[in-house]
Formats: sequence, C-alpha cells, structure tokens
Amino acid sequence: MTDISHSFTLKAIRLPGIGLWKQANWIVRIATLVGLALVVLSVAAPLVAPFDPNDQSLISRLRPPLGFDRYKDGFFLGTDELGRDILSRCTFGLRLTFALALAGACISLLIGGTLGLVAGLAGGHLDDLIMGLVDAQIAIPMTLIALLTLSVFGSSIDIMILVLGIYGWEQFARIIRAEVKKLRQMPFVEAAQAAGAPPLRIAFVHVLPNVVSPIVVQFTLNFSNIVIWESTLSFLGLGVQPPTATLGSMVGTGRDYLPTAPWIVLAPALTILLLTFAVQILGDWLRDHADVRLRSR
Amino acid sequence: MMKLLGTTALASLLATGAIAAEVTVGAANVSDYLDPGRDHSNVGSQFYYNAFDTLVGKNHDRLEMEWVPALASEWKLIEPTLMELKLREGVKFHNGEDLTADDVVFSLNRMYQATFPPYVVRSKDRLSNFAEAIKIDDYTVQVRVEREEPLWETLLNLQQVMIIPEEYTKGLTGDPKVAEDSDFEAFSLTPVGTGPYKVAEFQPGQKVVYERFDGFWGEQAPLEKATVIRMPETASRITALKTGEADIVTNIAPDQLELINADPNLKTEGSATALFHVMIMNVNHPHLKDPKIRQAMSLSIDRDLLNEALWLGKAVVPSSHTMEEMGQLHQPDLVTFEYDMEKAKSLLAESSYNGEEIVFDAFPVYYTNGVLAAQAIMEMWAEAGINGKLNVTEKWTGNDPEMMARSWSNPMYFADPFGSFGVMWAPDGPSEGAGRFNTDEEYAEMWERFRFNGDVELRNAAYAELMDRIKQDPPVLPLYRPFESWAMKSNVNWAPKKGHIPYVLDFRAGSISFN
Amino acid sequence: MIGYTLRTLIKMAVTLFVIVSLVFFATRLSGNPVDFVLGVGITEDDKQLLIKYYGLDGSIWTQYWHYLGSILSGEFGLSFLERRPVSAIVAERIGPSLKLIFGTMVFTFCVSIPLGIAAAIYRDRLAGSAIMIIAFLGYAVPAFVLAIVMIMVFSYWLNWLPVVGNSTFSHYIMPTIAMSGMWVAALTRFTRNAMLDVLSQDYMRTARAKGMPERVVILKHGLRNASITLLSVMGLQIAGWIAAGSVVVESIFSWPGIGEMLVRSAIQRDYPVLQFGVLSVAVAVILINAAVDIAYAYADPRIRLAKGT
Repeated sequence: MTDISHSFTLKAIRLPGIGLWKQANWIVRIATLVGLALVVLSVAAPLVAPFDPNDQSLISRLRPPLGFDRYKDGFFLGTDELGRDILSRCTFGLRLTFALALAGACISLLIGGTLGLVAGLAGGHLDDLIMGLVDAQIAIPMTLIALLTLSVFGSSIDIMILVLGIYGWEQFARIIRAEVKKLRQMPFVEAAQAAGAPPLRIAFVHVLPNVVSPIVVQFTLNFSNIVIWESTLSFLGLGVQPPTATLGSMVGTGRDYLPTAPWIVLAPALTILLLTFAVQILGDWLRDHADVRLRSR
Repeated sequence: MMKLLGTTALASLLATGAIAAEVTVGAANVSDYLDPGRDHSNVGSQFYYNAFDTLVGKNHDRLEMEWVPALASEWKLIEPTLMELKLREGVKFHNGEDLTADDVVFSLNRMYQATFPPYVVRSKDRLSNFAEAIKIDDYTVQVRVEREEPLWETLLNLQQVMIIPEEYTKGLTGDPKVAEDSDFEAFSLTPVGTGPYKVAEFQPGQKVVYERFDGFWGEQAPLEKATVIRMPETASRITALKTGEADIVTNIAPDQLELINADPNLKTEGSATALFHVMIMNVNHPHLKDPKIRQAMSLSIDRDLLNEALWLGKAVVPSSHTMEEMGQLHQPDLVTFEYDMEKAKSLLAESSYNGEEIVFDAFPVYYTNGVLAAQAIMEMWAEAGINGKLNVTEKWTGNDPEMMARSWSNPMYFADPFGSFGVMWAPDGPSEGAGRFNTDEEYAEMWERFRFNGDVELRNAAYAELMDRIKQDPPVLPLYRPFESWAMKSNVNWAPKKGHIPYVLDFRAGSISFN
Repeated sequence: MIGYTLRTLIKMAVTLFVIVSLVFFATRLSGNPVDFVLGVGITEDDKQLLIKYYGLDGSIWTQYWHYLGSILSGEFGLSFLERRPVSAIVAERIGPSLKLIFGTMVFTFCVSIPLGIAAAIYRDRLAGSAIMIIAFLGYAVPAFVLAIVMIMVFSYWLNWLPVVGNSTFSHYIMPTIAMSGMWVAALTRFTRNAMLDVLSQDYMRTARAKGMPERVVILKHGLRNASITLLSVMGLQIAGWIAAGSVVVESIFSWPGIGEMLVRSAIQRDYPVLQFGVLSVAVAVILINAAVDIAYAYADPRIRLAKGT
C-alpha cells in the first residue's frame, strides 16, 4: 500500500506531467489544455488583446460580435456599454481575475490551514479559541465583512485581494481540523506521539501529507468561489473600481444588458465557466490520484 | 406541471387586464418612510402626490405655472408680508377627521418653526423666509413671512408643506396634546393625508399600497387600488411587466427602450426630467483652488457627446443652470457652461496644475448611466491632460474636505431658479455650509436681488450675474437633464406630467386611464 | 454532562460577544449614517444636528457601553432609516428568508446526495463524469447570472413563472434553483468524495467479502459512514445560506428577506438594523453549528470517545 504511493510520488517527480498525462482520461486532458490555454492567455494578455481594455469609443457602444448586424470591424467579440473592446477586456479581465483568485485562495489556505492544523493538533483552549473564531466568521455574512473592509480601507486591488483572501478560510480551517482530529486517532500518529516526536514533526511529516486530498479539493472550490464571489461583489457595486476589468466586474455591471446586448455578459461568463471548470476537474482528478487509500483498492 | 404554471400565469394576466381599476407598479426604489415634510429625495417624491394635498394647487398638465385652489379655496395678500387663505370646507382626512385651520397651522408651523431635527434641516434651505401660520377662525389662516415674498404660491405648493392631521399625529405616541419628535417618527410609518388615495399598507423600502379614498373632496380617484413594489433589478422589472405582474415599471434606461417598444403589448413614456445630473467641485480643495483648473475640468467635458451616446440624444444639455419650467425666469440665452477642449488645455497650462490626481466620486447605482458617464468623463479629462481617477462609493462625500469632485443631482424642487440652483448655492446654503463653496458680500448682494425682487426682469438680471460668477469660479457643472422613462402595458394611459417635480407617480383623476 | 453543556454555552456567549463587538466597531470606523443617504446635501451644522438627534454624538466608548446595556435589557433600538423597532423589521423579513432557505435546502439535498452517490459508484464510467460536469456547472455560474437567464427564458419568453414576490409555489422555483446552484455542486462533490473515502475502507471490503450486494453495502455502510463528513459540510452550508446566500436572489426576485436587509443597512450604516440583524443571524448559525457538533459526535464514535476521556 505504501509502496504504491511512493512509486507514484517518485514517478511524478521524475517525469513531471507526462506520467500523469498518460493516466488521465479525455475529460481531464481537455481540462488541462483549457487550463493551460487560459494561463497562457492571461500571461500574454498585452500581446493578445487587440486594444487597450479601457479605451472607450462612445460613438460605437454596444456593437455585437463578428457575424451580426452592426458589427464593428476588428472588435471580434463586440463592444460594451462604453464602446470598449470586449475581447481585450476579457483577456485583461481574465488576467486580473486569475491573479485575484489565486492570491485569495492562497491566503485563505494559509490562514485556514495553519489555524485548522493548530486547532486539530493542539486541542484544548487553543482549539476552542480558533473554533470560536471560525464560528464568528461563519456567522457574519461575508458581504458585510467585504463592505465594511472596503469602506474603511478604500477600494484598491490590494484591499480586494485581502478581502478575497478572507473568503473561505474558515472552511479550510474546519475541514483540516476535522481531518487532523480523525488522523490523531490513527495508529501511526499515536505511535509517533508515543515515540516522543516533536509536534512540528508530527504536523509536517505525519499529518500534513494525509490531509492533502481535502486541501486540494477545498482549494479548487475556494478558487472557483472567489471568482464567482468577485462577480457578486460587482453585482452589489462593491467590486474593483471601474474602469478596471475583471471577469466578475464585466458580468456584474453588464447584467443590465442581458436582455438587449447579451454578448457583454456572455464572453466573460463563458470564460469564468471554462476557468472554474478546468480548475475543478483538475482538482478532483488530482485528489483521486493523490488519495492513497483509493489507489490501493 | 408546466401546463398548470402556464395557466396560472395566463389567469393572472387576464385578471390584471380585466380589472383595470387596479395597477401594480414595479419601482426601482421605495421610500423607507413617508412624510412629505422631511423628505426631498428623488425616491420619495414618487409617493406623496397621491395621498396628500397642498393649500395651493397647480395645474400639472401645463409647463407654465397655473395656480389652482386646492385645500385653500382662495388666498390674497392682505399686507406685503401677510397672506390670508380661506380653507375649503368639508375636507376629510383619510382617518375621517375634518380638516380645519388647526391642522393647517400645525402642518405649516411644523416646518416654519421646526424643532424636529429632520424638519429643521429641510425647512432651512427653502422655507427660511416663512415665519408662522396663524389661525383666524376654523376656516381662515394667515401666513406671515419675514420679507416680501415673490414666490408665495410656489412655496405654498411645496411637497414639504402638504397638510397632515394635527390630532392624529399628536396622538400617535406619548402625550396626545403635544407634538413630540416620536409622533413625527411614527407618522412617517402610518401617514394620513387628504388626497384621493389613502396609504392602506406601507412596508418601508418594499411596498406601498394605495386605496381609493371615497371621502376625497375633489374628483374621485380613477383606481380602486394601486400597489408599488420594489423591484431593484432591471431585468426583473422589465420581465414583471411582460408577465403581467406589473402594469407600469419605473427607471428604464435609454438602452432598454428599443427592446420594450418592439413588443406590441408594451410601450414606454419618458421625459427629460426637471433635474440636472451635475458634477460638483470643491473650490476649497488645495489642488483645486485655482479656478482655471476647475474651468478646465468643466470645459473638457463634451456633454453633447455624453447625451448622444448614453441617452440616445434624448437628454437635454443646458447652456446655463436654467429650466424651461421656470417660465419667465427661464434664460436659455445665458452661456455659463460649454465644451471647449482647446480652451481647457490652455487654461490648464496657465494654471497651477501639476498633474495631481483628481478624484471623482460617484454613487454606484443611484443615477441612471451615472457610473458610465463618470468613466467617460475620466477619458475626456485625460484628453485635456487632467489626471482623473474614478472612485465609486456609496458614501456621500459632499461634506468631506478631501472631496475633489463628484457626481450628484440637482432637482427642481419647485419651478423657480431658487427651487433648483438656489436651494443648493445660496449664501450659507448647503454647499457653502458643507465647506466646498464660498460666497462673499458681492455674491450675497446679487443673491438678495435675485431672491426677493418683485420684478422678473431684475431677478433675471441678478441671476445672470450669479451665473457669471459661477462661470468664473465654477463649483458645479450641470451635465444634462436625464431622460427618464417608464414602461407600461399598451392599454395603460399614463405619462409623467410636465407640471410636476421629478418622478411623481400621479394617479389622480385625469392622470391615468385604460383603453 | 452539565459541565460540558455549561462550557458550550459560555463559548457561544463569548463568540456572540466577539461578533457583536466586532460589528459595532467596524461599522463605526467606516462612517456613520449621516455620511450616507441621510446626510446628502446638508450643511455641516445640520449634519451635527442630525448626529445629535440620532444619538451618535457621544464617544465611541460611551456608545458601546450604552449599546451593551441596551442589548442586555432587550432593547435593540429604532432603525435610523425606517424609524421603527429593528425587531419589527427583522420579524417582517425572517419568514420569507426561512422559507427560501428551507426550499433551497430541500432542493439541494434531494438533488445532490443521490447525484454524489451515483458519481462515486460510476466514477470510472461516462455517467460519473457527466454527473460531475453537470454538478460543476453550478459552481461556474454566478447566481445572479443564472437567475437573470432563468428569468429571461422562463418568464420573459415562455411566460411560465412569476418573477416578483413569494405568494405561490411557482414563485419558489427560480429563486430556489438560483440559490441552490453552487450548493448542489458543492454537496454533490463532497458526497462523492466522502463515499469514495468510505468505499476504500477495510470494513467495506469485509462487507463485500461477506457477499452483501453492492447496493446494500453502499447504502447501509457507505452512506452511514460518509454522513460524518457530510454532516460538517451540511452545517457549514445551512449556516452559509442564512448568513450570506440570499442577498442576490432576494434583490432579483423582490423577495423581502434578511440578506437584502443586511446589505442595505450595512451600505447605509443603519447601525441598529445591522447589529440586530447580524446578532440574529449569528445566534441562528451558532445554534446550528452546535447541533451539528452534537450530531457529529453521535455519528462518529471515535470522537465521542475522545471527548469522553
């Protein structure tokens, strides 16, 4: 059982990607390709985008995409409510959304993971304290926290990352704590404790590798949630400051045009769809493959 | 299942079509309270005219001011500063009480001699010349002003001096003989007036239900019942109209008009509302002290382009702070505000401006096209060389010394330059009082002539001088009169009336009917 | 046992106290109601007049002290905007909110638990992948986009469903689905993963070896054991719905619920409404969490034993 997982890990290290690719089914392969394409697109946004994403042209607002009446030459995906190029805004929006969601998910993993691990291992008053914080976080609507944070500190990208980073930490904490508590009863951890291993060693060597699977799943969930939540903030008028484009803000502010100019929302919404899809399918698949017990069956 | 749902929807459609004496309105916003005295918001003005009356009425079908008897059957000036009004007899409040001089004196003095803080705030900017109302007998009232008042009827026709019942209000809380602050607070949740509709149900921020008041003194209301429900989402409002859940919906942006008008069962009505969307500038901000910078901020905004692009050309771009509703005081020939990019650039070059960031604050959703216009303005500024930055926030920054520029609206609270420009830019008025506008003796002297002169020509001349001051040292730029639209079923005959202040939902006799 | 209960109660009280204090200071740091709608276009003098009238003129500590005192005496004050007791406002809105949450809960659980189990059983087949892809869709579409698209299709074009309010059953269909989207995705996924975990356990192999039919193995042993993980997730979700889930759906469907009230009062700094609203939500969430904890301990003997020692 352990042998299999070891050889799996080693193989993955030796041939990063290739071994995994061979084991993947077609859905995962497509998801990988889509994911890679989106990464490339967001990194190369300045090269890909035909126009400056914020360049307005008030006389050619709300022009439809290629192939429709009133199409404006060069603006393949049409123009938005201020005559800006949707393709360019989508590319730059993807770039920023990617960065925001990644940073946000990492921050919440860091906060939630640390606290969850500590709570699960330490138990006692520290556990109570951390779980109290978790309860408090769950009980205060996140929109309120975002709203108040943004109005105290002003709305900038940095603050936005912070606000997104707070989102979901409590889920990391709860899930990891629960897993750790389960693991603590496991023979190998008890054995290590009995052998007098220091707590940090137990945390990193014995516990952490075994909670990877729920962490990966939660991370992909959190990433997608942040992408969606960022658009919800825009819906409420709390998103990034205009004219900056994120996928979420394009959807959030463009929604009033859904009946009349649906392409404004369609392009960024589909990009969100692809992004979250790819991330989650990969996350799910990685989880299946990293799960020791499942592979041994 | 689907069939069932289909038939229910159909049934409700038929039902609303058949009983034409009821309407449902989908409004983007519903008031949190209903008290005509303390309110002057754009949201609130929708609601009062159906349920309340003023002493002096107005013919709202006409743009020109034509005063008609309302709760006062006649009025005459008996001294230069004393007006005597005869009250209509047999008027009843919605709760069955008779209207007498006591109610009128109570209603007027709650504003003229306000002690309740929200009334104090409201009465200052427009009613400060009104000293007191005095009861002569049960159906005669006198109103005394401090100085000769050229706008008697106008200021007796204000929403803020609509008449409410004395006994009922005082009896709402605490001592029934005394008007406590809590009485006025309670009144704003259970309002009672003399209008053709009574407020049968009020769920603050969500719903207002009017029912026909059979004891109304004038022509009976055409509707049995009118329900206004908050529907904040544009797509939901338009859809509710289509499914028959609403008969009329408010706040339709120009971009949506085509879609609605293409539907044979629906139509739209709209007008360039008697209100300016404005940009205000803080003359006292360290970076904006030089008037040339503010002139450049104003000159570089191509308002006609904004109108063409965002309002499909349906808004009205003014050359000065003036409106045609003001009749003889409408001065379209004044050129106070214009677009001149070259001049903006050269003024900026002459000025003390060194590329400092100029922050422009805007509310997120409150004004139709507000954030769009703000973003477009940032581009126009950039072209002139102004380093603008948009800050979308719910916060009212107009009292903040850090505020540089922001969007706002300046409604016509009553049909006079004093009722729009004057409410905000008087000496010691709200703008100066908020620290972002300065006046001096010269300005105050011009103001005096404009405000209190009995002669229209002299008032116009003084107003022109004020406008010139505004042009030289600008604190404000009116962008346009927004074109506000309502959408409704084709069989509903309703349109905003020319003689009203902005946004009034008028369902009185002669204002709404069905085919 | 009494000691345990007492300790739990004290913990809850402390959590509530922390929340109440956090909200109190955060709202006051971020401006007062006169900085928002109430104060638009008034002079500085008038602004001070209103600040005094609304009782916002004392030092923050005086206000805090006063606030704590009033909570203990059960007085939660009047809304600044609506001028009526906040308890009346919350009472008016709690019903519609609970109905929406209940509908969402039923829908989510009915859809996602069977889907998750199926996805685990058929994980190597197309059916399993297809289920997960459909479930992921719920994650990938913002609730307001889903809601508006549904409105366009089912109300605007087909005229099947109403969009405003909550008076009949058909009013519930779209809001419930719009609210469930994300949660169906989450719960399906968690169910699947929990089932997969359980399926690989030794006792499952034993059960199979004993010759029990696969369905019985899964439903009897699998679901029971997977429910441990599921429970903690469910607790989170119900709490999430109450605390956060509904503002978007409420404003789109003109549904007069708590979520919309909370956001509106936060935007306008209507402190009394906001504070009472947050407090009520927090109490509900904490009670649910406590219930989940108890259920959790009951479902997993190992934890029960650990707590006993």
